[in-house]
Amino acid sequence: MALKALWVRTTRTDRYLILLLVLVAFTSLFLSFGRTAGKQLVIYADEKIVFTGPLTRDRLLELQGPLGETQVEISAGQVRVVSSPCPRKICIGMGSVWRSGDLLACVPNRVVVRIEGEGKKGYDLLSR
Amino acid sequence: MLNRPLLLIAALLLILLLVWFQRPAPVTEVARTALIMGTLVEIKGVGQDQKHINRAISNAFTAMRKEEERFSPQIESSRLSLLNRTTAAVMVDPQMLELLQLGQEISRQSQGAFNLGLGRLKALWNFEAEDPRVPTTAAIKAILPDPDHELVHIAGNRVTRSSGVQLDLGGIAKGYAVDQALKVLRTAGITSASVNAGGDIGLLGGHGERPWKIGIQHPRRPGEVLATLELRNQTIVTSGDYERFFIQKGVRYHHLFDPQTGLPARGCQSVSVIAPNAAEADALATAAFVLGPQKGLELLEQRPQVEGLILAADGTASVTSGLKGRIQWR
Repeated sequence: MALKALWVRTTRTDRYLILLLVLVAFTSLFLSFGRTAGKQLVIYADEKIVFTGPLTRDRLLELQGPLGETQVEISAGQVRVVSSPCPRKICIGMGSVWRSGDLLACVPNRVVVRIEGEGKKGYDLLSR
Repeated sequence: MLNRPLLLIAALLLILLLVWFQRPAPVTEVARTALIMGTLVEIKGVGQDQKHINRAISNAFTAMRKEEERFSPQIESSRLSLLNRTTAAVMVDPQMLELLQLGQEISRQSQGAFNLGLGRLKALWNFEAEDPRVPTTAAIKAILPDPDHELVHIAGNRVTRSSGVQLDLGGIAKGYAVDQALKVLRTAGITSASVNAGGDIGLLGGHGERPWKIGIQHPRRPGEVLATLELRNQTIVTSGDYERFFIQKGVRYHHLFDPQTGLPARGCQSVSVIAPNAAEADALATAAFVLGPQKGLELLEQRPQVEGLILAADGTASVTSGLKGRIQWR
């Protein structure tokens, strides 16, 4: 009732101001949602960014390094190295990554894959 | 005449504006990677000035590359390569001296379980080869360093290497490089940062206001963590039999050798050591791994401000007294 009484007493300017406040609140809410957009993949070859893209689009990436071509596959939201010219194939053995902050690297061929964006994995850094 | 609700709304707007401008600058995390010392290094800095953090990280990477140039056995011009080429006394820089002295100290305390003279043994096993094989017992015995013989003699800033010994600083130099990177970040005024060189982790402060949460890799379940713990201003290094290994006739052969036998040490799956500096943690993790769960734990308990977690070959976990109650098992 008190609210209704207050509303009756408002002028047109008041109502414009209320509308403006509501718009500002919704805009900031929308922008904050935009900041927590999905995870993305960043690939470095020889310490330079050569690819960035979402994890949601399946594709096969062919990356050139000093030893030859490393193939990185994005499939079902996960990333893995499927082929590499390095001798020990440790990068292939590392399997798939998908959590924010995860890293995948082929050190001999100087290719690094990093997952960026929001996501919880229960720790900041992994000691191994 | 002014309307009271209008005044109320104007006042609210003013408060909103004041709150907006009073907000501190947003805290951001800058994370960058580089390939140094044959491993992936990631440095994270947390703070408000992104440009400053980026500059500090670049300088920290430069410091680590300098250590690589000093300690790498693969670089012909490195100080280590120079030492390995001659048995004459060589004048070394303070960094090499510091590292050799720490290595000798941990070697003595671990009764030789940590050994700086395994260069020839590592070359014989050649884990970097496409198809690594187990060497013959005779070949191993022929190159094992004599446990009663001093590997290097240090007199002032002059170092003399024993003939027949090839120095390898793989079990300590990466940790040392992490320490140097932390020093650069600290000098730049960064108060919240991490340096992760392939699992050798150094921490400055916490992750912003809270401590850093560290996961420890499960040695037998790739992609899973064994435990987590919270740390600030410390370093943690894990040595495990799962990072570099090959399997021959159903037997796992890994790169952490027992200097007495020249064969992979069999007492543990992994050892994680927490210490004030990463070079010490690095060497102690290798030493404790070689010593096995019981003696390894005793060694860690002897060192001041050092804690550790040992996972024995049978999967049994044990921790040092100061770590009890601080670990969340997964």
